[in-house]
Amino acid sequence: MDYDAIVVGGGHAGIEASLALSRIGFKTLLITQNLDSIGRLSCNPAIGGLSKGNLVREVDALGGEMAHLIDHSMIQYRILNRRRGPAVQAPRAQADKFTYARLAKETLEAQPNLALFMDTVVDLVLDKEGKKLVGVVTQRRHTITCRVLVLTTGTFMEGRIFIGEYDAPNGRLDESAAIGLGTALRSKGFPVGRLKTGTPARVRKSSLDFSKMELQDGEEIMMPFSFDYDSIDRPMLPCHITWTNERTHEIIRANIHRSPLYGGKIVGKGPRYCPSIEDKVVRFPDRERHQIFVEPEGEGTEEMYLNGISSSLPEDVQWDFIHSIEGLEDAQIMRPAYAVEYDFIDPQALYPSLESKLVENLFIAGQTNGTSGYEEAACQGLMAGINAAQKLKGEKPLVLSRNEAYTGVLIDDLVTMGTQEPYRMFTSRAEYRLNLRHDSCDQRLTQKGYAVGLQKQENLERLQAKLEKMETVKELLAKRRMGEKSALQTLKMPEITIADLEAQMPELSSFEQPILYQVELDVKYEGYINRQERQINRFEKLESLVIDALMDYDAVEGLSAEGREKLKKIRPLSVGQASRINGVRNSDIAVLILHLDRGGRHGK
Amino acid sequence: MQASAPSGILAGMTRYVTDDIIYALATAWAQSALAVIRISGEGCLKALSPCFSRPKALVEAQNATTVHGYIRTEAGENIDEVVASVWTDGHGYTLEESVELSCHGSLSVIKEILGLLGRLGMRSAEGGEFTFRAFLHGRLDLTQAEAVQELVSSQSKTARALALGRLEGSLKNQIADFKQRLLTITASVEVQLDYAEDELDEFVFPREQLETLRKDIAVLADTYQVGRLYREGARIVLAGSTNAGKSSLFNLLLKQERSIVSPVKGTTRDYIEADLSIEGIPIRLYDTAGLREGSDAIESEGIRRTERLMGQADLVIYLVDSTDVSHIPSEDERTIVVYNKSDLVRPPKGRLAISAQTGEGVTTLLSAITERLTGGSHASGDDLVVIESERQSRLLTDAGNALERASALVTLDIPLDIIAVELSEALQNLGELTGEVTPSDILETIFSGFCVGK
Repeated sequence: MDYDAIVVGGGHAGIEASLALSRIGFKTLLITQNLDSIGRLSCNPAIGGLSKGNLVREVDALGGEMAHLIDHSMIQYRILNRRRGPAVQAPRAQADKFTYARLAKETLEAQPNLALFMDTVVDLVLDKEGKKLVGVVTQRRHTITCRVLVLTTGTFMEGRIFIGEYDAPNGRLDESAAIGLGTALRSKGFPVGRLKTGTPARVRKSSLDFSKMELQDGEEIMMPFSFDYDSIDRPMLPCHITWTNERTHEIIRANIHRSPLYGGKIVGKGPRYCPSIEDKVVRFPDRERHQIFVEPEGEGTEEMYLNGISSSLPEDVQWDFIHSIEGLEDAQIMRPAYAVEYDFIDPQALYPSLESKLVENLFIAGQTNGTSGYEEAACQGLMAGINAAQKLKGEKPLVLSRNEAYTGVLIDDLVTMGTQEPYRMFTSRAEYRLNLRHDSCDQRLTQKGYAVGLQKQENLERLQAKLEKMETVKELLAKRRMGEKSALQTLKMPEITIADLEAQMPELSSFEQPILYQVELDVKYEGYINRQERQINRFEKLESLVIDALMDYDAVEGLSAEGREKLKKIRPLSVGQASRINGVRNSDIAVLILHLDRGGRHGK
Repeated sequence: MQASAPSGILAGMTRYVTDDIIYALATAWAQSALAVIRISGEGCLKALSPCFSRPKALVEAQNATTVHGYIRTEAGENIDEVVASVWTDGHGYTLEESVELSCHGSLSVIKEILGLLGRLGMRSAEGGEFTFRAFLHGRLDLTQAEAVQELVSSQSKTARALALGRLEGSLKNQIADFKQRLLTITASVEVQLDYAEDELDEFVFPREQLETLRKDIAVLADTYQVGRLYREGARIVLAGSTNAGKSSLFNLLLKQERSIVSPVKGTTRDYIEADLSIEGIPIRLYDTAGLREGSDAIESEGIRRTERLMGQADLVIYLVDSTDVSHIPSEDERTIVVYNKSDLVRPPKGRLAISAQTGEGVTTLLSAITERLTGGSHASGDDLVVIESERQSRLLTDAGNALERASALVTLDIPLDIIAVELSEALQNLGELTGEVTPSDILETIFSGFCVGK
């Protein structure tokens, strides 16, 4: 055996998977098509956002790397949705994409136990029965063996980019796709499908007229995504906002037939939540304008990202419509917008551990599973890495529940329901989001990261200290009288903030702001959090009814035909998961509960 | 298969195993001419046979035949003469071996037979359990039995029994309409939580839509009382002092209404009851013994019974003798005070007055009764949608309450993430009526209605 573990791909999923495996102590190899493109931000030069910021902090709490990378490459920081409530706020940062990628590669290089190798994986090697993975074959005809494999191919597996009439076998503009692997997986029986995504043009900073745009600054104080330290010090750059106009829309409408999306060249389904500008114009004809965020791609570069107008129209059309936009009249287009279509594997063929149901020891993460987004990729890469390590140790996989992490929601959604379009994390996908706040990820996950051998002892101690401080603040508030009430009760009133109390209680000032903020939320939303707890208790009842992966559904009397088929396909590991499968009816669940109960009682 | 220790859900249904014999009274627990006791489960004929006068005939009976005989105690004493309808395995309601005993409808007989079955090692069925078995054995179309999960997990016996009440077309449409409207409101909030403020247009909470929806839901929820009233009827007790004229009013009401069913003689001297219908509502009317300090033992026993009857009544009509107003009871939502003998003395102004002698004021009294029982809403039109089960009513009420809380939070300017909790609770309640609402439904609504995404 050459390696304990191989990770295929050096994107955001591959980075987390390879670091997790090597940090836990396994001899790991990362194979990538190009060492120079490790950790690239292929699309938007930003990390975080609503619910995505939570994913980053979850990765961090478990012992992953993404938060460190963005903390040391950010050039703007914002907290989104401050006014819409604590449960849905999240941090977002603009990144210097070159710094981000360089830090990623340096981190991998500095990691003991981790080897890096440049080649393209074109096939998997299975055992004689075809049931277990034993290694990979590369383009240059190396066969490398391993005990576990994490597959993170991003948009490269049989990738093809489209710009109007032009198309090429690329995973990113002018970067070769990984040809052969998708076909090999299809022939091995994996359910492979096509998805599509896109990216806007990059334009030259010095050719733009910012005086015609709206300025968008970040927060004055940058806060780290990571729980490992309290502050960061980074340079800050502004973003700008401009809008499309009727003229822009006219140009797009007049040329819509030249889009490969409308011409039928692209078969893969694109994300509805992140439509191309031609989609927006067609679907919302009444809108007079669409917003564009002009974002810097880094400190040392002139490239600016035009967030909001991704497109697959031909370059001459892009040229025209970009120049119709205020502030972009003389924009020099440095890279065109393009669409990319790629192979993904139906994630319903995975267990919640992200291990394949078809081939043992094969774990799959990131865009290969039909997701979209760096953060979605990172959290899957981390979980796949952790669970591959658990498998090597012969221990039970770590599966996060829907009520403890967005990561849990994401993976459960993927393996239970699959996806019809590139899956993006959304706040509204989570049922218990009052419990999934970004500021308390450490409280939910650090211990779990420690238990699987990834999180450091010192971070566990940091968490302990934080909890103690929060307790102390609560005690101080409970003791302090304010008229009839204690300060703690006063804080429950909607109009009172902890800052108001701080004015009267100088002893609070010695605590860090995040501590005070969390206490404030805990106190203010106690009633709702308790109510959600009760919902969670109901939810957990069904989750705790375990189903064996090898359950014989044909032997269960009374299941509907469709329900039986779906259960056999998904092989849920709990009644709760079964209840979320499309096509499984309530009556099927009743039968299942009854069956399990009888089995339990009679030892069948 | 391994299952964990019985959780709440399992605890509720651990008795829902199908390998034992269950029994239950299938007719109402009331004095009547005939009663039916249903027994189901493999081996039930054999189990029953030692206490049946013709054991061999019972055990060997063909499917869908009847066997006449006597049910006897273990000591061999006859309890009742019965007809046993036999269903063999694979037939009948539950598709299990089963037997239905038609016996006399005296409460003491029913009690004794049920007690005997228990001693024979059979188990008293949980509400809905026969249906559950029928469903499990494929007797019911699964689409009809979608409510079984609810049935399994619902706590109360009544809720379980009612869980299978299917939604009728018009009602289903109405609730689907509520759900769609709520989904639209929820999506407009959720999109605010899914995208950053600078990516979306200015948000105004759809307050008016929420309020209209809340009211519409409340109206439908309230029809439950009315629906139940027309289906199950009401008990009305005539009360008042001995000389207030209760018996005259009793007879008058029976005469007034043509649809007299059956005046039944009470078994004792304490009360007489009769069935009639007032404006379509089935009524059981009780004429009670006068409320007077009884001097003899029998009479005070009668008064105790009267008080008990009044306690169980849906409505008490307290008759006051206008010529002797020494004691006037207070009126409440279950009590109407009526002044009788209006032909002799003019009762206080604004009070309900009748003359049981001349019939004056009785029409007014009848409308007052209907008004009081229906809470003012008249379920007469064919187009009126009425809630039929307690479960439906509870879920609608809960949904309405959640929306009311949401509305209050909007007033207080509480952040959207908290308001969303209430909206999702309301959606869940409506979802339990017509099928679940999943986060993907909400996202679908968002994607189809909003221009989102950078």
